[in-house]
This record gives sequence, C-alpha cells and structure tokens, in this order.
Amino acid sequence: MNEGQTVRLRLDHLTKIFPQRGGKGNVVAVDDVTLDIYSGEFITLLGPSGCGKTTTLRLIAGFELPNQGQILLEGQDITHQPPNKRDMALVFQNYALFPHLTVYRNVAYGLETRGLPARTIRERVGEVLALVGLEGLEDRRPNQLSGGQQQRVALARCLVMQPRILLFDEPLSNLDAKLRVQMRSEIHALQRRLHITSIYVTHDQTEAMALSDRIVVMNGGRIEQVGSPPEIYRCPSTRFVADFIGRANFLPIELTARQGETAAFHLLGQSLRAPLPASGAENLVAMLRPEALMLRDDPDLPQVQIIQTMYLGSEVEYVVQHEDQRLIVVEHDPRNRRIFAEGERAGVTFVPEAVHLLGDGA
Amino acid sequence: MQNFALQRQVNQFRRIFQDPVLAIALLGVSLFVFILILLPLFSVIGESLSPKNAPLFQRYLTEPIYQNIILNTLVLGVLTAAVSTAVGFLFAFVQVKLDVPFKRLMHILALIPIISPPFAVATAIIVLFGRNGVITRGVFGVRFDIYGLFGLTLALSLSLFTVAYLTLRGMMQALDPALDEAATNLGAGKWRVFRTVTLPMLLPGIASAFLLVFVEAIADLGNPLVLGGNFEVLATRIYISIIGLYDTSSAAVFSLILLVPSLLVFILQNYIISRSNVVSVTGKPSGTPQYIHAPLVRWTLFGLCMAICLLIALIYGTIVLGAFVEVLGVNNNFTLRHFDFVLNGLGSKAMWDTTRLSIISTPVAGLLGMLIAFLVVRKEFFGRAALDFATMLGIAVPGTIIGIGFLLVFNTPTVWELPFFGPVTVLPKLTGGQAMFGGALAIVIVYVIRSVPTALRAGVAALTQIDPAIEEASVSLGADNARTFRRITLPLIRPALLASLIFAFARSMTTISAIVFLTTPQTRIMTQQILNEVENVRYGNAFAYCVILILIVLTAIGVLYLGVGSTTGAERAFQGGAR
Ligand SMILES: Nc1ncnc2c1ncn2[C@@H]1O[C@H](COP(=O)(O)OP(=O)(O)O)[C@@H](O)[C@H]1O
Ligand SMILES: [Mg+2]
Repeated sequence: MNEGQTVRLRLDHLTKIFPQRGGKGNVVAVDDVTLDIYSGEFITLLGPSGCGKTTTLRLIAGFELPNQGQILLEGQDITHQPPNKRDMALVFQNYALFPHLTVYRNVAYGLETRGLPARTIRERVGEVLALVGLEGLEDRRPNQLSGGQQQRVALARCLVMQPRILLFDEPLSNLDAKLRVQMRSEIHALQRRLHITSIYVTHDQTEAMALSDRIVVMNGGRIEQVGSPPEIYRCPSTRFVADFIGRANFLPIELTARQGETAAFHLLGQSLRAPLPASGAENLVAMLRPEALMLRDDPDLPQVQIIQTMYLGSEVEYVVQHEDQRLIVVEHDPRNRRIFAEGERAGVTFVPEAVHLLGDGA
Repeated sequence: MQNFALQRQVNQFRRIFQDPVLAIALLGVSLFVFILILLPLFSVIGESLSPKNAPLFQRYLTEPIYQNIILNTLVLGVLTAAVSTAVGFLFAFVQVKLDVPFKRLMHILALIPIISPPFAVATAIIVLFGRNGVITRGVFGVRFDIYGLFGLTLALSLSLFTVAYLTLRGMMQALDPALDEAATNLGAGKWRVFRTVTLPMLLPGIASAFLLVFVEAIADLGNPLVLGGNFEVLATRIYISIIGLYDTSSAAVFSLILLVPSLLVFILQNYIISRSNVVSVTGKPSGTPQYIHAPLVRWTLFGLCMAICLLIALIYGTIVLGAFVEVLGVNNNFTLRHFDFVLNGLGSKAMWDTTRLSIISTPVAGLLGMLIAFLVVRKEFFGRAALDFATMLGIAVPGTIIGIGFLLVFNTPTVWELPFFGPVTVLPKLTGGQAMFGGALAIVIVYVIRSVPTALRAGVAALTQIDPAIEEASVSLGADNARTFRRITLPLIRPALLASLIFAFARSMTTISAIVFLTTPQTRIMTQQILNEVENVRYGNAFAYCVILILIVLTAIGVLYLGVGSTTGAERAFQGGAR
C-alpha cells in the first residue's frame, strides 16, 4: 500500500529522554524512531507496557518535545510547534472529557475555540453526534453516560475537528471485553468510511490486527518491525515480535546449505528450503505458529508426548513435549479428528509453507 | 547526552515563550513575588545585618530583659500551639469519629475565628475575665489578672485552634476507613486501633498543625498588644520600636530574631507534610467510617467539646452584647451610640476604606493564587519550586516584618538614572506621607500577599485531583493556555477558588500586623481603629466595629457563594440524577 501514497507524517530519528522518576539517571523512552505515515492509513503502535508508545504519540501531538530528531507534517517541520497549533486531535486513554460541560458543549469545544459561527458549529456537532450514535444525549454530562457513550463523546469531540491526523492512546482499555470488541468494530468502520489518517496506540495485539493497515511493533523505545498484520504475523523479523504477536514455537534446525537468500535445512524429519532472515544471523531457528503444527496418529512421524489437552470448541489446544522442548499445537475445527488425551503419544508434522526462519539471538 | 539537562531547560523555556500569554503570566508572577515579597524581606534582613547594628544584636541576645522577650515569644508559641492542637484534635476527632449531636454547630463555632477580627476575642476576655470582669469580679468576686501569659494563651488558642482543626479534620477524613476496618477485623480493640493505626498515621498531621499554629502565634501582634500587660513578645517590641520610637534599626534586628524561628519552623512543617503521604492514601475513602461507641470516651469528649463551644459562644455573645450597651458590666443600658460612631461618625471612613480595599484585593489574591497553582502544578520551568516557596513566604513571614520591609523599600521612590531617558521611577513611593493613593496601594498589595499563599495551597490541592489529560484535551482541540485556564481549569477548581476568595476577603478585613505601619491619615483601616478604641478603653466602639466587620465578611461570603458558585457543574449534573 506504500506505493503511490503520499506521506502525511514523517518521524525522523526521534529520541526522547526523561529524567528517571524520583531517582537519578535517565530513561530513554523513545529511541531513534524513524517512521513514515501515509495519508488515509490506520497505523498502530503496538508493544508491551512501557515501550514508549504513549511517549511517541505525545511527541506527535506536541505535548512533549524530542531531544533529537524531527517531526514533519506534510513536509513541514512541526517539531517545535505547540500542540494547540497542530492540526491533530487526540483521543485519550481515560477519555478526558470536560466533566463540567454537556455532551454538546464537549463536542463543540474545539470548533468554538476556532471561532466558527454558531450555526456551522450546530450543524457539524449534530452530524458527528449522529455519526457516533449519540443523538438525544446532547444535554447529558459525562458522568451521566456509560463507559461506551463516554468513549463515543471522546471520539466525536475529535472527529468534529476534521483533523489531519487522529491520534488514539489505548482508547478501549477502560471498557469491558464485550464493549471493547463492539467499539473496535465501530472505530474500524468509521475510519474506513472517513479515511482519516489515524495513529493508534495499543498493547493489545488482537486490537492491532483487527484495526490496522500497518502495525509498528515497538520494544524498549525502538521500532522492532513495521508491516501489515499478515506480514507481521507470518514473517516476524525477531523472536520478540514473533512472541508478542500471537504465539510461536521456536524449533532448532539442521542447516544443510545456504544459497543466496535461501537456506536448506532439516526440520522434524523433513528437508525443506526457506528464505534466510534479512539480519543475516549465524544461528537459525524455525518459527512455527501453533496452528501450523499438526498431531497425527502416525508412528513414522517424530513422536511427542501430550502434556495438556484443552478443548475450546472451535479448536483444540495441546501442550506437547518434543525431546527437551514444549510446543503448543492448535488444531482447528476438531470435529472430524481424533482428540488426543493427556499422556498419549502422537506423531507431529507441520505445514511447510508456514515455516519462517529467524536469527536465534534476535 | 551530556547537555541533556540543559537541553531540557531550553525546551521548557521554548514551550513557555511560544505562548505569549503564558510567558507574560510567568513573568508577572515572578515580578510580583520578587518585588513585593522577596525584596521587602531581603531589605529587612539586609538592614538588620548592616554592620552598624552589630552592637544591637549583641545587646538583644545577651541582656536578660531582651532574652526574656525572646523566651516569652517562644513559650507563648509552644503553649498556644500545644493547646490549639489539642483542642483542634478534639474537635476533629468528635467530627470524624463520634456519633454525637450538635456536630454541625460545633463545626460552625470552630470556624468563627476565621472571620473574627483580632482584638475581638482578647477584648471580650478582658471584659469577661479581667480585673473588673463580668464573670471573675461580677460572679466570683475576685480581681483576677488576666493580662499576661495565661490570658494570651487563652485568647490565641481560641483564635488559632481552627488552623489545627481544619488540618486534622482533613487528615482524619482522608484516612482510609478500610484501614480501621482491617485492623478491627484482625481483632484489635478500638483503643488499640486508635493507638496503633490511627494515631501513627495522624502524627505528621499533628506535628504539622502544631508547627503552623506556632508560626502564627509567635507572629501575632494584636493579642499581645491588648492582653500582654507586662508580658512582652518580639512582635510587640517591633511595633513599639517603629510606632513609639521611630527606630527602624532595632525593629529590623528584632525582626530578624523573630524571622529565624518562623522560617525554620515553616520549613520543618513543609518538610513533614511533603514526607507524609497520609492525605493521599486514597482519593476517595472506601468503606464507612467507624464511629467509636464506648460511652465513656464518647460522652467525655463530647462534654469537653461542648464546654469549649460554650466558651466560644460566651465570648462572641459578649462581643455582640457589648456593642449594644453603654459599658458592659458597668452600665448595661441599651444604646446604639457605638454603632452610630462606626456607621455615621468618625469610624465610618475606616469601615468604607477597609471594605473597599478588601474588595479590590480579594479577586486579585484568589485568581493570582489559582494562576500560580496552575503554573506550579502543570508547567515545567526552572525555579518552579522556588516560586511556590517564595509565594508561601507571604504568610510564613510575620506580618510586622512584611510591614517593615515595605517601609524600607517603598518609603522613598526608587529612581534609576538611565542614559538618554534620564531619571526613571522604577518603584513609586507607596508608604508614608504623599504615598501613592494615600498608601492604599501598599495596603492592597499587603492584603494580596497575605492571602495568596492560602489560595495557592487550595489551588494546588484542587489541581492535583484533576487529571491533567483534561487540560491536554483542551489544548489538543486547539485552545491555548489562556483559554484552557479560563474555560476548563478555573471552572473545575471553582470550589477552591471560592474558598480562597472567602478566605482572602476575611483575612484582608481582619489583618492588623502587616498593615499597622502602612496606614496613613488618608487611608484608615478598621482593625487599627479597633486597636485605637481598645487602647482608649472604649470597648463599646471596639465591639461595634467587630460586629460590623463580621457582618461585612458574612455578607461578602454570601455574595461570593452566589456570584462564584460552590460547584464545578460536574456535581450539579450528578445531583440532578438522570438515567
Ligand atoms: N513524564 C515522564 N517522566 C519520566 N519518565 C517517563 C515519563 N513518561 C514516560 N516515562 C517513561 O518512559 C517509558 C515509556 O513510557 P510510555 O511511553 O508511557 O510507555 P507505553 O505507553 O508504551 O506504556 C517508561 O519507562 C516510562 O516510565
Ligand atoms: Mg501508554
């Protein structure tokens, strides 16, 4: 999707250092982050808590100033522009609604600040409230709304500004599981409809996969990998990414040859070829997603011992012992298959195309 | 990243100067603190430390008569602090931990001293318990000498226990009741819970209340002037040095001697508060507070509390009654003569002047306090802690010393000889004869200085309860700092603003020590007129002044409640129910 797209926002070697809270020394919250964000795309910053997602977002919004690097909005340097001058709107983690203003006044606030005529404001607020399904609640105050409704007000307040970039900081993390899934799909539908360039921060990989055009996986202030959800899932570039996005088994391989960009090797008794990782690492391991492994009643296959069996309806999840390693195996749609009991032995095999090689250390 | 710290500061200043309104606000606040608080203070210190005053120090610190004055001051401070803290604790404990009748009434009686003028209590005590006291002489037939340490401790404690009460009540309410519950569930008896859980948690609060009262007690001028008798303290010495002897040097030296314990104790108090996190255990206490039901404890404490309430009621009753009779206890005929004097006679100018100046200073102090709180809590800049501390000096430094500082700095205009421009008046003459606005400006400034610290603390407390993301949301939606402060911050801290305005007005109307050197024939101040009447034993006039003053303050409180509103709007909706 990168071809033919214009760059909306460019982060150029951004670094942000904080003095340690209540102590000596410094924390490098964002470490040399470089990233292009294209017009109209939905990009997610994903990573464990404390990896610098919020800080990156706040740098973009202008609430923090970087120690190094530049931020360019449509080619224009906005690194030091104050946040209120940036044509962006931020949906906060805990909504940060104005508790003393009604829903209507909350949503109208930004337009009033711009000094638009009252009629225009009324029209636009009305449209946006309809868009997020809040008609009829104009006169409520935030503390008279449910969590989901508050979330919608927070969203409407930003949407009404028609910002060039919409920023989200874990907006769904305060909702209960069911509402989270529902709001997720609403945000998805809205964004696809309005094509607002969106930068979304979350630590929830399902949320990231569901919403994003591209995912930026962060770790310790650095970018680990950027890619579309399938790219990230199928071809993680590091063990960290493989582990963080979904679940992964790492199996040792017997390398037989390296030819250009591919490697030939043995894995679980089969010989196969796969592309070498870009990093050019020495020691290689094979990453296999749990659903790429299969258990068969076949004594010719490498044998494993079933440690645990969990029947989940749409799938069965096994923990199995293979030599000195525990593996996770997921069998989808187990209706027509035999379900192995704990303590039984089974043969293990895999989908060859799903094998992805990684540097061992990375 | 060697220059990381430097870079951070550059960035902070870049942020502030990007927003001209913010930059101007910060600059203005800094100038306010520097010129109006620090400069007078440093002048007093500088004057007292000038070499020609070395012999004075020598004398005051070694001669027994002066050592006595210093000792008196400290003894009075410690006694008052001990009594006030005990009484404050009692009142707070009864409010929070006991289920007894008249709690609302006790609360209101405990708050009265805030709006009562100085001298009111002291004068009533003289009338009730003095040599010709209505009670001592009239009821018991003894000629009791109330002047001196005993009377002073009584009068000061009755005025200052409110400080301890409010501090301790806040802390007791903030204590998580779940904590008590947990301890009780573990099998600890109520008394043990109190001793092993509640009391240790309250210790910082008790210490802090004690120290706060101490600072106020050693700075007090009004009570020792009226009730001191032969018991001299530093504040009265300073007063006499200036008013009686026109001796700025010895006044400055006494000031420094008084300043040292004041500041040390103030810093110690701040340190204790900053170290204890009792108040912030939980924002919202969960569970229901556990009342103490043991009848002996309950009714003893209740009885004690009611006895003190009765005393307070007696004193304020005396003030009101005394204003309506010829000479209370001597000639009890009803008269409106005293009110006529205050409202229509010679006294009316003071009433109008004081009210007018307080009305001017109140909004300035309230808004300035909120603004400084906003800067201190929400903005990062070099010298943030210093700004907070320097602002607090406005109340930590005894009023008399601020008054002398103003005399030293503003009695002559400061003129700079600039190239090209010639002489330019940088600081005008604000005090003494031919002062700007007849000295009124200096008085307004002092009112503001004395009220801003309370407003600052109230503002800081309110702001730390508000998620900064709410203000950031406003900025993110395009509002600059000024609009965010006006439209979001200020409405959300409205209760703190209201409290600050009420307090500022009450304090301005009742302050004496800081303005006693600054009044001029053109600008009369009620508290000083009251002192005048008391010194001339025209208690009736003094009481009438007190009653009028209290009525003015009560009216102002009503007006402020209506005008400012006591809620943020967020609660109003909540009470409105809905859903
Ligand atoms: N204002 C701050 N002062 C000091 N350290 C901070 C500040 N903000 C964030 N940090 C630190 O920077 C790191 C990244 O934080 P953050 O961006 O909030 O992570 P995330 O949003 O990914 O959980 C953390 O170690 C955090 O403690
Ligand atoms: Mg975060």
